[in-house]
Amino acid sequence: MKILVCIKQVPDMESKFKVDDGGTWYAKTDLAWRMNEYDEYAVEQAVQLKEQVKDADLTVLCIGGDQVKETMKKALAMGCDRGAHVADGDSSGKEPYQIAGIIAEYAKDKNFDLIFTGMQSQDRGSGQVGLLVAEMLGLPGITTVVHFAYKDGVIEAKRELEGGVKACVNVAAPAVITCQLGLNTPRYPTLPNIMKAKKKELLSIPVDDLLKVESRQETARMYFPEKKGGGLVLEGDAAELADQLVKILKEKTAVLG
Amino acid sequence: MEFTREIYWNVGHNAGTLVPMYLFAFTAIGLLVRGFLKRIEIYKQGLPLIRTDQPARRLLHMLGNVLLQKKVARVRWPGLVHGFFFWGFVLLFIGTTLIVVQADFTDLFFDMKFLKGTFYLLFSITLDVAGLVCIFMLGGLLVRRYFFAPEGLETKKDDAIMHGLLLTILCTGFLIEGSRIAVTELGTPLSYWSPMGLLVAKGIAGMGEGGLRAMHKVLWWTHFSLVMSFFTLIPLTKFRHIFTTSTNYFFDDLGPKGKLVNLDLENEEAETFGVTNVKEMTWKDIFDADACTLCMRCQDRCPAFNTDKPLSPMKVVNQLGEVAFTNPEANLVDTFGKDVLWSCTTCRACQEICPAAIEHVKKIIDCRRAMVLMEGEFPGEEVMTAMEATEVNGNPLGIGYAERGDWAAELGIKPLAEDAEVDILYFVGCYGSFDKRNIAVAKSFVGLCQAAGVKVGILGKEEKCCGEPMRKMGNEYLYQTLAMENIEVINSYGVKKIVTTCPHCFNTLEKDYRDLGFAIEVEPYVVFLEKLIASGRLQIDARELSCTYHDSCYLGRHNDLYDAPRALIKAAGGKILEMDKNRAEAFCCSAGGGRILAEEKIGERINVKRVKMAAATGAENLISNCPFCLTMFEDGVKGAEVEDALRPKDIAEILAERVV
Repeated sequence: MKILVCIKQVPDMESKFKVDDGGTWYAKTDLAWRMNEYDEYAVEQAVQLKEQVKDADLTVLCIGGDQVKETMKKALAMGCDRGAHVADGDSSGKEPYQIAGIIAEYAKDKNFDLIFTGMQSQDRGSGQVGLLVAEMLGLPGITTVVHFAYKDGVIEAKRELEGGVKACVNVAAPAVITCQLGLNTPRYPTLPNIMKAKKKELLSIPVDDLLKVESRQETARMYFPEKKGGGLVLEGDAAELADQLVKILKEKTAVLG
Repeated sequence: MEFTREIYWNVGHNAGTLVPMYLFAFTAIGLLVRGFLKRIEIYKQGLPLIRTDQPARRLLHMLGNVLLQKKVARVRWPGLVHGFFFWGFVLLFIGTTLIVVQADFTDLFFDMKFLKGTFYLLFSITLDVAGLVCIFMLGGLLVRRYFFAPEGLETKKDDAIMHGLLLTILCTGFLIEGSRIAVTELGTPLSYWSPMGLLVAKGIAGMGEGGLRAMHKVLWWTHFSLVMSFFTLIPLTKFRHIFTTSTNYFFDDLGPKGKLVNLDLENEEAETFGVTNVKEMTWKDIFDADACTLCMRCQDRCPAFNTDKPLSPMKVVNQLGEVAFTNPEANLVDTFGKDVLWSCTTCRACQEICPAAIEHVKKIIDCRRAMVLMEGEFPGEEVMTAMEATEVNGNPLGIGYAERGDWAAELGIKPLAEDAEVDILYFVGCYGSFDKRNIAVAKSFVGLCQAAGVKVGILGKEEKCCGEPMRKMGNEYLYQTLAMENIEVINSYGVKKIVTTCPHCFNTLEKDYRDLGFAIEVEPYVVFLEKLIASGRLQIDARELSCTYHDSCYLGRHNDLYDAPRALIKAAGGKILEMDKNRAEAFCCSAGGGRILAEEKIGERINVKRVKMAAATGAENLISNCPFCLTMFEDGVKGAEVEDALRPKDIAEILAERVV
């Protein structure tokens, strides 16, 4: 079985973000980088599947500059067999259609039985890449998966819908799966696996070899939301609090008429 | 008349006595040696470890503890009773040896007798008193064990054998002496030099010489046989502690106190890390089990055991021994139990009190290393999250690393990257940098330095967690990664001196980092501030302060700093209402050993228990010296519902409030 898992390196969301000079993306100074959370579920699921079927080859793919190799090493330490690094110093300047195009171009002649990725990235959050890859490769795409089982070439998945409702989907491989929070708990790499990961194949492919599609959308501007009001914490004993609340409700709302 | 007595009186100093006697004796000693040789084979299952360097220092350490019973006597009454028994026993042993030496060596070969005259009188009374002391002490220990046993004291067959055998040996000894005196010394001044023997003699004198002689002979051989049985039983019963516990002092860890062994993570040959099997422990770890006397002192002080967690340090040590002797292939992690291993706060209360010089904590960390490094296992998901947060942002709280130095900006404190010309580098630590409550402490410390005219620098966003909680949780890989990064940064600035407000940082930089080539002087803030005050550079206005003081494990037991913090509190005008458990006996706050990262899911909350102890003193402030302690106490005062009565504070804060 051949499995592909696509991951993205994103800034830690606790970082202090600033808009960059171009005004279309965040500045990259003072950021700590990590694997996109949803992609961690994808890697974990791919590794679990590999452990289940035993005879499988698991490739992890990541697009970006040299620094993304650190994140790829974590995926290799978690259990991926080889890394495909698409070397692109300007991956954040590419829109989801182009990213999907790169992945599809890489995957098209490799006969992957399953492609896993996160349901969206924590930074851009378009949620498009997985589905676009499926579409470009002509494969079924199952998004926001929170339960995954595989048996004899058939995938049994549960998708998370709004309001706690789940959709059960059965589909034959090959297919593209995008992973949602709750699917699994990503493992902590063991030291022998971290050591082994350092020796695993990690090939870099220039992005120009794989980028065959034109961009369709453009980021016009990135900005922080304007500050409109905020929360108010009232303090004091209950009677005082009640008075304050009534006063605010009277002044600022119409509920007390 | 010269004072002396006939050795081998009544039993006869001839081949009929000596041949069976020495045959028996050599057999017994042979069995004793064989018993230990067999045990040594078991110890040798463990990995090598050098514990014979600095032999003179080791010998001195051993003699101090064996002859003076220093650690044994730390628990006063049972300790003193044991000490007196020990000395009685030693004197009886020496006395008996002198008899053998004279009768069958010096007298036999050189016609030389030394058990005579004044020396004999002293010899006689000394042994008589020693025997009496032994009987009383052993009786006392027997009554304690069988009638007033402290809760949890394990009494086994070994204990019955030991008490029974020794008491019988002592009593038959006096009966033998008594019957000899009744026949040969009654009415002579010599008899007064054996008061106990005389008493017995008077009691049995009515039996007549024939009866006395017959009884003497039978008892003499009985006594002798029992002593020989005692020899053979030494390696087979808890009697073995006579040898194992005393030699364990020789093999003791000479320090630095509590420093863990660095794992060689670059070793490509290594297939496993940490310990899951007794063969991956060292020989000393197995030997420790044989040195344990089940005295329970470790367990009595263990904060985990005392809050209904499954850990007993004593049990861990003995299970290890049991595995080594009966089932060496067994998985140690499964034998101990994961919850047991995760419960340890590495507070060192067990090791500090152990009268057998056993190293408990290291064994637990060894197993944790295997769980983390080989299985990627943690006590809970929150711990894994903290580990990952540390990998990404260099702190377990998961806050963006770039904000690490923000707290200091308003104080005019710059990172070394901007100004490296400083008197001291303040290694702030994660809590001082990110936790609101502990930022107040960091600011107080900086304020004190500034008041004393000390120029302080920090590493700011270049500082990372020292790695202590990770290391104690078993994550050696992450610890070493963090340590190497910190060392590289610190070295790049030519820092002369580092001061810490976190005892965990201090302990790690001062001890653990040394193994990675770190050489810069590190000082805990309590010592640094005490010097500033002593030199007059820092003036503190002593004002009334109602307080109790909590010795953090890592300033206290791990680094023996008990007086400097108390001197600072005194300088601030504080009169400390000590808790019952203070100094080396202080009860942990719960957050050591990486437990700061973990939720406490089993049993009573340790921090609440400690806060209740503090509240019981009636003090208004609970002063500590550690960000983990402070965090746990802020939480603990809520749990104990004493929020209004008791304020947790750091020493730096009370000093900053009183700076002139």
